[in-house]
This record gives sequence, structure tokens and C-alpha cells, in this order.
Amino acid sequence: MNLPVNTNFAEQVKAIPGAEKLMMCFSCGTCTSKCMIQEKLEPNYNPRRLIRETVFNFEETAFTDETTWLCTACDLCYPACPQKIHISAVITAVKQLAFEQGRQNPNQTAKVVEATCVACGLCESVCPYQAIKLVEKKVPFRGMITVASVDQGKCMACGMCTAACRSDSIRLNQDFNDNEILGSLWGWLESEAA
Amino acid sequence: MVDAARQPLIEVKAYTEVEKVEGFVGNFKVTLREKAKYVRADRCNGCAACAKACPVEVPNYFEMNLAPRKAAYIPMSQSVPLVYNIDMDACIHCYKCVDACGALEAIDFSMEDKIIEEDIGAIVVATGFGHFDPTPMTEYGYGRFPNVITAMEMERLNNSAGATHGMVIRPSDNQRPQKLAIINCVGSRDKRYNPYCSNFCCMYAIKNALLLKQMNPNMDISVYYIDIRTPSKGYEEFYDRAREAGIKFIQGRPAEITEDPNSHQLFIKSEDITLGRVVEHEYDMVMLNQAAVPQPDQDHMSSVLNVAQSPGGWFMEYHPKLRPIDSPTDGIFFAGACQGPKDIPASVAQGSAAASRASRILHSDSWQIEPTVAVVWPDRCVSGKGQACGICEKTCPYGAIDYTKGISAEVITAKCHGCGGCVGECPHDAITQLHYTDAEVLAQIRTLLAVEPEKKILAFRCQWCSYGGADLAGTSHFEYSANERGLRVMCSARMDADLIYEAYRLGAGAILYSGCHPQDCHYITGQVAGAKRAARLEKMFARLGISPGRFRTEWISAAEGDKYARVINEMQATLDAIPEIELKAEIERLKPEMVKKLTKLNEVPGVEEAMIQVDFIVNEMKSKAVSL
Repeated sequence: MNLPVNTNFAEQVKAIPGAEKLMMCFSCGTCTSKCMIQEKLEPNYNPRRLIRETVFNFEETAFTDETTWLCTACDLCYPACPQKIHISAVITAVKQLAFEQGRQNPNQTAKVVEATCVACGLCESVCPYQAIKLVEKKVPFRGMITVASVDQGKCMACGMCTAACRSDSIRLNQDFNDNEILGSLWGWLESEAA
Repeated sequence: MVDAARQPLIEVKAYTEVEKVEGFVGNFKVTLREKAKYVRADRCNGCAACAKACPVEVPNYFEMNLAPRKAAYIPMSQSVPLVYNIDMDACIHCYKCVDACGALEAIDFSMEDKIIEEDIGAIVVATGFGHFDPTPMTEYGYGRFPNVITAMEMERLNNSAGATHGMVIRPSDNQRPQKLAIINCVGSRDKRYNPYCSNFCCMYAIKNALLLKQMNPNMDISVYYIDIRTPSKGYEEFYDRAREAGIKFIQGRPAEITEDPNSHQLFIKSEDITLGRVVEHEYDMVMLNQAAVPQPDQDHMSSVLNVAQSPGGWFMEYHPKLRPIDSPTDGIFFAGACQGPKDIPASVAQGSAAASRASRILHSDSWQIEPTVAVVWPDRCVSGKGQACGICEKTCPYGAIDYTKGISAEVITAKCHGCGGCVGECPHDAITQLHYTDAEVLAQIRTLLAVEPEKKILAFRCQWCSYGGADLAGTSHFEYSANERGLRVMCSARMDADLIYEAYRLGAGAILYSGCHPQDCHYITGQVAGAKRAARLEKMFARLGISPGRFRTEWISAAEGDKYARVINEMQATLDAIPEIELKAEIERLKPEMVKKLTKLNEVPGVEEAMIQVDFIVNEMKSKAVSL
């Protein structure tokens, strides 16, 4: 089986600051065994494999690899790497290239409700990934105003912004909105009471 | 060792330190400190009565501190010479040993260190290697988890003369381990500690695994590795034997070792790369195959012997391929792992080679040196006129120049390797280098820049690296600008500022100042002198308004033919970008500046004169008695 190849992919990744040492990987697997996401969340998660896919220009495989989208850049692997490769920077670089090609983050991310956002900046200050910026934007029925905007590539859907927002204007798109959480909380309390 | 001690022509000086090495090949004066043993070697018969009587116990360094020794001790049972030694740091002066020694009267508390001076013809350095301490690698828990041990500790545990008489036991509960893991590349191939491969650990892991398997065939042994390296004769077959014996090899570098604090069982988590999956296994005991590192006092030895160190701290050989046994200082040779991590066969081979290299010196009455040695013109040296100077002495990487204020400097010809650093640095042009006199090099510059100098790129190349790089560019058919004109000197240290001024005075378009990378310099620190001068020149030319890129410094090794071609092509492109009229105007503007600078050169001799000078120098050399 031949995997689709973009012959320039490794070079493109390497050119992004932080990912320069990409080619130094000798596949020792320290990063994978150090990784918390691999241990707790996704057994198929493997930064070593993603680096290898990148080195061999398997662009499509790299873009669809769960490793690309699940990394939280906690950098547990970085100090452990014997080749001093900034692995999370490599992963971020792959992600950046994926967005440049118009791909969407397959995981849920925070979404701003622009109709009610007042641009107070609370979400921007609490976001641990610096994924939220206040931008000037044309919003339907409100004209040119400042609203919060979420960088899909950086958002890890932790929900800090949702909790901080005073006007309920920033939400996680699927399961973890306030109603869902309140619903399950009530359900749990009622079952406990019964 | 015992054989060496018995051989009448070999004198073993145990417990003796080298304090100072002076002189040169064939005529070294070595100062030794024979440390006081407090036991007289001529009387001690090695009966161990003193050790039995001694009440003081201290950790035994030779046993990796796994067993005690007395304050009266020999480091190991095969010690040569078999003479006991009293450790004064531990001794409590109870004098029980004196009573135990009795009529032999070998113990003498009044002994003192003896300083000995010896005339030595050649020196072989065989100081070996040290062990990387894995304590800083907290992820492996060495020092915290009792059952994580190093390879050297394992070596003492399974040695029948060792602390446990060859019984491998877990330090936590003294039980025999049934599941053992060996982790390779601990502190080696790791940019955080030592970037190099320690060379012998793979074979060492396999050896220990097989040894333990032979002692206890039921033992479950796993070896964690990044790559298994078995490059020498019979090594791969040895690896085969280990797999046949049932030793498991897991490709994957463990990220972490954790411990159950109650049972002291260990858990290793690593990715099994061949499975592509993270696996965790439980072990009774873990052995860390730690990196080989230079001896802790290698830096000190390097300054005593005046030999350079490679990156990482090992002693640097003269040439990695062609002269791997010689040090850059004539008459000093390396054997074994002091020059780099090496296994036993390689160390033995290097030891034999070093002995034969050394005997070449001991069996000859004369010693050939490079013909490019430096010579002082006593009438020009300002030191002879009573001025303080000594720049040449400071520049010389070999300590080959004798400078005393009031007497003109003198070159110790036998020590001179002919880098020409002193020649390049001397502000009074009072030193010259045979075959690379100022006159000779200037004559070359003039010839190279005789026609259309503004179109030329004059490349100063050092003999060993950038000249080789240019050579390689040629033999590899890497195309570079035909306007390049190469000029060879022995070292970038010889690239005198005067030579560069003269090239600009003659109207050179661009000048490349190139030599070895600092760690590759064939003259220890020659490149450093060259680099300092180049930096100074770059600053000055920028101030004088020379277009950027017309003077360029590049360090190009003999293997970097592609780099040489690229640099020349880039310089050509820079030159092409300057309009011809502007370039010519710039050259004209600079000429008077250069002439001013060149007045420092006592005279700028012509070619005919150069020949006379060479004759003069050769005659000078002949009239001096140059012998060893």
C-alpha cells in the first residue's frame, strides 16, 4: 500500500519555528511512553509515529492522526526527549499546516455566540492556551463591533471560558454546555434522593 | 598487570601522580608525586595482618561502595604491587596495625609524599574513562529506588571476588531477582547529558544478560534499547546467542521507572516500538547501562600534558583517521578509552599501537619535524631591545616559544609544529615561518592579483581543512566561480593582517578568510587565534566602509566541499551585485588606508628579495645546532 505523499511536507513543518529539529528523531519512543493523553485518553495516541509520518511526508496520514488533534502541549515529553526535539511544537506546526489547507479541528472547540458577546475580555484572560482574542468583526444586526474569537488550532475545549463568561456567550458546541451539565447534575441528585 | 610488574624493563609506579610535564619529544622532564602509602614497599609481604587488625571500616570504592574495607587496605586482591596502604583520611591512629605487623616493621607513619623527576623519551596516556552518574536522571530513580543499580554495581555483584562472592541479590531485601531489566543508553545518545554513543554498552548489556542467564537459567531478562549496535567481528553472533538463550529485547527507551514502595518492585513504562504500543512490565531489579564519560580529572591531565580535548572532554587525537593514536604534541600517545569510549579489543589494539609508536622514538637518535617551523629574527624582536611583549609566547599552542623580557624570543624548534600563529600575531614581523615567509606569501598574492584584481576572490585556506574542502569541491565536481584564487597557508593563525591589507591594496575584489572549525584545528588552538584576528579585521573593515561581503570569514572542514563551493558562489554573487564603478572607487578610496597600515611591515619585499631571505633563513637554521 502506498500512502499519499506531499514531497514537501517535512520541509514545510521544519520551517515553522520550534519544529526545526524534526529530522533528529531516532524513534526511541520516550515521548509516547511519557504521554498522559496516551495513558489516560487514547491508547492509539503516538507522537513518535506522528513525527515519523511527518518525516516521510505522509501529509494526509499526519492530518488525520489523532495525535495531531489531541495534544495539549503540556510538554511532559519535551524535557524527556534525548534529542531535545520540541515535540509539541512539531505537532502544533502540523496542525497549523492543516488549518492552512482549510481543515477543521475534528474535536469540539469553544464557540462564541456573537449575538450576545460584549467583549469584556474575561474569556481571553482565563484561556490557558491563549486561544481567544478580541477582534473587530462585522456581526449580523450589530454592525462592526469587538467580539471574542476562538483560534480553533489552539483551543483544547477545556471549558474555562464557558465557566468564566458572564453572559453565556461562549460555549462548547456539543455535550458540555451548561444545560447538559445541569441536566446530568439534577438527574444525579434526584437519583441520590430517591 | 602482574606480568608487567615482573618484566625487568618495566617499572610500575603505583599510587603516583603526574604533577608536571616539561620538555619535548625525546626529552620530557616529568615530575611525579609518589604518594605516601605509610607502608614500606621493600618490607611489606602482603600478608594482610594490618588489615585484619585495623578496626576502621570505610566504603570500598573499588566494590562500588557495596562492601567495606579497612583503613589499612589494598584496593583489590590482584593489586600490583601487593603492598598495603593506609588511608590517612580514615585512620584513627590506634597503631594496632603496627603491632600486627610485628617484626616486619613495614608500617611507617612518618612517610611523606616523594617528588621524583624523571627523564622520559615518550609518554603513553592510558587513563581510561569514568562512569556517568545516573542520579540526575530522576525518571530512572537511581539513588531513590534501592533495586535500580548501575552496570558497574552489577559487575561487582556478579563477580566471584566481589562483595557478594558472585551472588546477584536485590539491595532492598537480599533476594535473588527473577525478573531483571537492562536499560541501555542511560546518559549516552542523550543531548541533555552526553550526545555520543558510548560504543560498548550494547555488547556489555548482552554480555551481562548472558552471564546472568547462565547463572540462573530461569531468570527473565529484558534489554531495553534504542538501537543494538554490534559492528565488530563476532558481535552479531553474540547477539544471536543472547536471543537464542531467551533474552528479550525491547526496542524503546523507557520514559520512567516507578516503584511499589512496599515491595520495592519496579515498573518500567516504555513504548514497544515494534508493536507501536506503550507497554508496562514489572521487574525485581533494573540495571542501568550508564554512559562512559571522561575521567573526572581529565581536564587537569589535559593541562598537565598540554594535549587538547575533543568536544565531550576526551583527549583529542592528532587526526581521527590517519593518526588516531598520536596526540597533537609529539611524543605523547593515547591508548584506550581516554581518547574516546572504546571496548576491550579496540583498547588493546590501540595500546599495542601506542607502544610501537613510542618505541619508534626511543629507538631513534633524531626526530623528523615539519619543515615549516618558525624562526625569530633577533634584530627585529623588541624583547631584545628591552620592551615587554611576549605575544608570540601567548599565541603558541605548543609552548614552543621561550620569551624573557630583555632577550629576543626564541623558538624551541623541536616543539614547533609550524602553524605560523606567532608569525601572524607578531606586531613587529620579527618571526617568520620557513616555506611561508611573508615574502613568499606576498609574492603569491601579487601573482594571483596581477590581472584584473577587482574581479578576483582571494581565498586564504588553511592546509588541513578549508584547502581540503576546496580540493573536495573540485574532485566532487561542485561548480564554483572561476574567479576564485586560492592561497594555502598552514593554519588560519598564519593569515597575517598584513597579507590581507596587501591584497586590498592591490585591489582584490573579495577576500575569504577560511580555516578549520574550532574543534578540528590541527594546531590545538591555532584556529582560535585566527578567528580572533578575523573578527578584529571584520570590525575594522566595516569601519573603513568596505562593502559587506567583500571580507568573509568561514570555517570549512575538509569534508565540506559543498560548503566551500556555496560560499565562493555566494561571494561571487555579492561581488556581482556591486556596480563596477562603485567597486573601483571603493578600492581606490581604500588604497591610501592600506598603504598606511602596511608601513608597519618593515619592508614589503619583492620576489627576488624573497629568495634571498629564504637563503638567509636556511643558513641561519644550518648554523644553529638543531638536535634533540
